[in-house]
Amino acid sequence: MRTKKRERIDWIFKQVFKGTGFITIALLAGIFFMLFYNGISFFQKIDPIDFFTGNQWDPDTKYSILPLLVSTFLVAVGSMIIAVPLGILTAAFLSEVAPNKLQMILKPLIEMLAAIPSVAIGFLGIVLLGPGISKLFGIQNGLNALNGSILLAIMALPTIITISEDAINAVPKSHREASLALGANKWETLFKITIPAAFPGLIAAVMLGLGRALGETMTVLMATGNASAIPKGFLDSVRTITATIAIEMGEVPYQTTHYFALFAIAGILFIISLAINFLGEYFANNLRKFHA
Amino acid sequence: MRFFILLFCLICLLSCSYRNNTIKVKGSDTEVNLSVQLAEAFYKENNELLVSISGGGSGLGIASLLNGNADIANSSRSINSEELALFHEKKIELDSFIFAQDAIAFVVSDNIPIDSISIDNLSILLSGQQNNWSFLINKDLPINIYGRQSNSGTYEFVKHILNIRFSPYAKQMNGNAQILEAIKADNSGMGYVGAGYVMKGKSKGLKVLKIYSDNNAAVSPLDASKIASGEYFFQRPLFQYYKAGDYAKVKPFLDFEKTKTGVNIIHSSGYYPVKKIK
Repeated sequence: MRTKKRERIDWIFKQVFKGTGFITIALLAGIFFMLFYNGISFFQKIDPIDFFTGNQWDPDTKYSILPLLVSTFLVAVGSMIIAVPLGILTAAFLSEVAPNKLQMILKPLIEMLAAIPSVAIGFLGIVLLGPGISKLFGIQNGLNALNGSILLAIMALPTIITISEDAINAVPKSHREASLALGANKWETLFKITIPAAFPGLIAAVMLGLGRALGETMTVLMATGNASAIPKGFLDSVRTITATIAIEMGEVPYQTTHYFALFAIAGILFIISLAINFLGEYFANNLRKFHA
Repeated sequence: MRFFILLFCLICLLSCSYRNNTIKVKGSDTEVNLSVQLAEAFYKENNELLVSISGGGSGLGIASLLNGNADIANSSRSINSEELALFHEKKIELDSFIFAQDAIAFVVSDNIPIDSISIDNLSILLSGQQNNWSFLINKDLPINIYGRQSNSGTYEFVKHILNIRFSPYAKQMNGNAQILEAIKADNSGMGYVGAGYVMKGKSKGLKVLKIYSDNNAAVSPLDASKIASGEYFFQRPLFQYYKAGDYAKVKPFLDFEKTKTGVNIIHSSGYYPVKKIK
């Protein structure tokens, strides 16, 4: 009798856990389906070739994702140029050089950086960074791609540092000991042995940081000026995919071409971030195999 | 004990009952502050009817009216044909009411030595056909255009009335105040904002332009009498859409907006009362 009861309880819990697992999958599938169902309605009205090759996003007449895509990547890649060296070197410092006590203080502080709301960072971009950039470069207005890149770099730093540090820590101690025994000094060991050995993990960190930067909305919406022309450089105003969706969704007439167009660009963004996350996961898994 | 549970359930059920004495107003963010003030004043005079206001944009307001989530849709633009078709599909008859007028002011940096501008020149500048001030004045300065984001009714209005497409290099700012701040700092900037934002008088670094067309005299957006007589080019009616079948329900609030108290509130919040069209 008791066994039967226990088995039944086990069975119920098994089903409950299975259910929660499937809910997540169902949510993902539902979002995927909705984006693509609406995206397809868009491509029935607008030629995909125009969509990918045109040069202007001007709803109601011209729907081209190109300026938005260029802007998104300009801001995201710019943020990585700033955040990657800073993040990886900070991680190397934390795991290899810093004394334990300093490490105990620094790590939570860096993680706190991730807790700052994006709207607060965007606000800093408007009132602090924007005027600063305009003074520094002698231009009239500081709301441009550079501003967005710097802010996104700040937001991506905690992700990059945390994952890079794990990757560097995971390098076996024997590697370092062998290098030191061969007469290499501490710096040579760090740059020639430890960091190359942690490389797949570092790429994973960069990919996840990039994913964060691509998907960020509020900060870029506030700080990049939102001009929809194809930018020529970091000092031009840009308009990312996320900002476009956020700006236009509130006012778009329901079930029109423009409405479907926003779903189409959201779908493209979804594919891009999915690809980047998969790449990150792939490299992270490689790291595990490498050390196992 | 059982009695209390029963009583509790009964209270719950009663409090769920449908309240017919609330008018829900949704729509344009331009009008939301004004509507809230009108609703508060209205409640002081008539506390049996509750008016609840929320923003979200003209498009959202009209969509809510369509799904029955709102009784009145505030809109700073007239309803477009695609939206109208949706109402026809559902066989809902619409009616509209113009409760106030808004004017758009064009602002430049006070470094630019012009006081007025023609409508044709404005179109040329805003559409990006000319991007240097040397086109108008004896100064070689690139023009920075600061406008609203494309979800703003102000943006749509300027675009439609001039019948242009905005220059893709125009910056899109989050709000009127941000545009003014940017132009103050930028000695080659120009932009457009709701007249209410520059009504309080001049501020440093800014200049409000007078507008003229053809050979008519230039008109300032700050001149209420000219707006009332419809002489300013960039003035627009603020609409309230409602279902024709709901007229009896929303009438008290619409009537209130026409009273003296209503008109005073409209004027003091930076808008212009409607001229009686004869």
